[in-house]
Formats: sequence, C-alpha cells, structure tokens
Amino acid sequence: MGSDRELRERLAAMESRLETAAPPELRSHRSRRVALSFASASLLILALGGTALAAIAIANQAQGHPGVENPGQPLYGARLECMTPPQAAAYIADHGITQVVWQVERDDPAAIAVGKTGSTSVQQTTAPETGVVVPGSIADGTLLMVVDQRHGAQVSGACTNR
Amino acid sequence: MDSRTPWPAISLPRNADRRLAADNFERAVTQHYAPLVRRLVLVLSDEAEAQDVAQETYLQAFRSWARFDGTDVRAWLYTIGLRLAFNELRRRRRWLAALSRVRPRPWHDPADPDLEAALKSLEPRLRAVLLLSLVDGYTHAEISAMFSVPTGTVASWISRARAHLRSELHEE
Repeated sequence: MGSDRELRERLAAMESRLETAAPPELRSHRSRRVALSFASASLLILALGGTALAAIAIANQAQGHPGVENPGQPLYGARLECMTPPQAAAYIADHGITQVVWQVERDDPAAIAVGKTGSTSVQQTTAPETGVVVPGSIADGTLLMVVDQRHGAQVSGACTNR
Repeated sequence: MDSRTPWPAISLPRNADRRLAADNFERAVTQHYAPLVRRLVLVLSDEAEAQDVAQETYLQAFRSWARFDGTDVRAWLYTIGLRLAFNELRRRRRWLAALSRVRPRPWHDPADPDLEAALKSLEPRLRAVLLLSLVDGYTHAEISAMFSVPTGTVASWISRARAHLRSELHEE
C-alpha cells in the first residue's frame, strides 16, 4: 500500500459507502403538546360555535416558529438573510443585541478531496466577512446566527426575487 | 418604542426557551449526525451498536448543549460519541449480551474487503484516532483533548495504527 493519501482516500471512501439513519426526534414532546393543543382547540371551537377569534388563537398556537425574524420576535421583518454578514452584524448591533454567536459552516476539504460532501461548523463571536446569512433564534439570551460559506450556498426565498 | 433595549430585557416563556434551544441544536448538530454514525460503524464494526451509540450521543449532546463551548461542533459531537463508544458501551454490551436482546449487525464492506479486514484487526481506539487524524485532519493535540490522553500517547497510537494497516495491506 502506498502513501497516507491513498490510505486516507480508501478509508474515506469506505466510510462514505455506509448508510445512516436520521437522528432521533427531539421534538416528540412538542409534537405531543401541539397534538393535544389541536384536540383541545377543536373541542373548544365546537363548544363555542367556532368563532373566528378561537380559530386564530389555535392557528397561532400551532405555529411555534421561534426564529428571530418571525412575527412577534424582535427582528421581525429585518430580512437579515438579504444582507452580508457584516451588514447583518451592524443591523443586529444597531438594535441593541449584544450577545451574538456566529456559526460559520464551511466545506470540509478532507471530504471534498475524496468526492464527498461534508462541512465543518465553527462558532465565533464576530461576523465573518462573507457567506450567506441564515437568521437564527435566541437561546439563553444569546442570538445564534448561521453563515453558510459552503460552495453553492444560496440566499433563502425572500431574497431570491429581489 | 425604544428599539435599543438590551437583549436580556426580553424574557421568553420557559417552554419557548426549550424550543429555541432545540432548534439551535438541530440546526448546528444534525448535519454532523450521519458522519458520526458512519464513524462509529467503522470504529465499532457493528451497525446496530453504532446506531445505538449515535442516538445516545445525540441525546446526550442535546442535554449538554448549554455547556458547549461553541468552538467545533463536529469535534464536540465526535468526542461525546467516541467516549460513549469506549466507556459506557462496554458496560452496556455485557448487560445486553446477557439479556440477548440485541442482534448484532456486523459491518461488511464488499467494495474493499482487504481494508475492512485490516481495519477490523486494529483495536477500536486505534481505529478511532487514525480516522480522526488521517480522514478528518485533526491534530494530535486536538485528538489528545478529545480522549483526555497525552499528545505523545496519541502520536504513538496513530503511528502504531498506521504501521499495522500498512503491514496488513502489504501482506495481501
């Protein structure tokens, strides 16, 4: 057998041939909660004659989107995904949000070298210069922003029609 | 409205916090799940065990998400997974084998049987460090941090693993 490179390529190819399954579901509790909410809501609507107000309330309950740009969230309508990372950082800072983690997704050269797709994730406190911004959400008072620097990364729907 | 309110002033319901944490975790970690499973299959040589350990890794990582230092998600996940594979699995194997509840699914790679045999003849820990070094490109220092062993030990393991594989494959 030859070099480290040959061994690496054979090992990586071997690994890439393996099949995998999806990760376990983290949201089972939420799903059950939402399902219960639906059931309760249906009974409520039936009991009250299905007023429009009840319908709206139930619809809102089922949404549950936590993204920082979603309705009711502090950066609703900001369209951060249409900005460069520095622009997004400036916008966020301008709105008084100081605790921000930037998670940068990059192509994994080792994977690409063997014809696979793979990426690495690094979290940092400053915005990178380039990449596609993916607006995140808030946990424990910290805003998580994802920047996709992988080859072929594209802006999300709202910006593609601009 | 004062749009410059400092962030901590925004309080979220406890349930919402949990949902946000789950969303952040999934966004950051899920993409590394499949590579983790593949890695565990190579290290453990059993697909059923690998799936089992990977699931437990994922759940343990989720429980520890708030304590993650925010550096390298993949390395963090691999660290949890490989440590689980080497430590807790040993105990679990004994119990499950005794109860005969787990059907092993030994891994085979018909496309490269020589490399498969050579890899399987290495002890799992050596397999793991060799793959982390050679395939993933982690440094000896990074691997030593993952396994909490001295850098010299890692260098020795990698050297032994590489020599063993070369020897096995050369003797084909």
